[in-house]
Amino acid sequence: MRVRDESKIQAITAKAIEMVANDGLENLGINRLAKAAGVSPATIYIYYKDKDDLLTRISEEEGLKMCYSSLDGFDPEMRFAEGLWIQWKNRAKYSMNNYQAAQFFDQLRNSPYKETMLRSVADAFRKPITIYLTNAFNRGEINQMSMEVYWSIAFAPLYSLIRFHHDKHNIGGDPFTLTEDVMKQTFDYVIKALLK
Amino acid sequence: MEIPAHILIFKTNIATPHDLQKVKPVLDTQQQIIQWTIDQTDVDCVLRVVSHHFSYNSIIHLITETGYACMELPD
Repeated sequence: MRVRDESKIQAITAKAIEMVANDGLENLGINRLAKAAGVSPATIYIYYKDKDDLLTRISEEEGLKMCYSSLDGFDPEMRFAEGLWIQWKNRAKYSMNNYQAAQFFDQLRNSPYKETMLRSVADAFRKPITIYLTNAFNRGEINQMSMEVYWSIAFAPLYSLIRFHHDKHNIGGDPFTLTEDVMKQTFDYVIKALLK
Repeated sequence: MEIPAHILIFKTNIATPHDLQKVKPVLDTQQQIIQWTIDQTDVDCVLRVVSHHFSYNSIIHLITETGYACMELPD
């Protein structure tokens, strides 16, 4: 019976994410990945059927990791503003600490792996967020709105700030670093837009 | 993700869809192969076999009989 070696899997996953983030999906090869992760190609094939299987599973795992970190400390019973602020802080923290993973997701954007990743994320998010929005609506905090409208207003502003932060400059080319102050200021406008 | 007890990894020259069609019936008819895949995106055209009964040598024999090269991918 082979023993599953978690440290090898972690090394393979981390290197695969880094290589896809830097060189794109099509340039990922099992041999190069094996060399970078310090394992033999045979080892990678023990855990994954092929490159497609490897990318599918890593996309799912990373999507879920992002999802669970976004919901860390979040409770669907929270008041609307409190629940949203926690998600903002979690999402910002995840994006700051996992820049490589964010670039990995960017590379997946126009690939079948994106679908897989989105499906696993949507399933994990659906229940808590549906309860949270229903509660907020029932308490009279927000109007009825579709998931698309909610998400666009609730999170797109945050992701713009994160993008400026990673680019190190704002849209005008001036230097920019995201602080909690700027984040809170932006969040307050978002809340104004969403609350009744 | 459970690792099956027996995974055999080979380097082959089964490189094209046509090659694949030639070995497919041979592998498909083996009752004791739980699953097999060939990664044709890889330079080593890696054949991966999950089986509790087959040995490396018996798979190598099966594949070479079809006219293709097959050797254990070193770990």
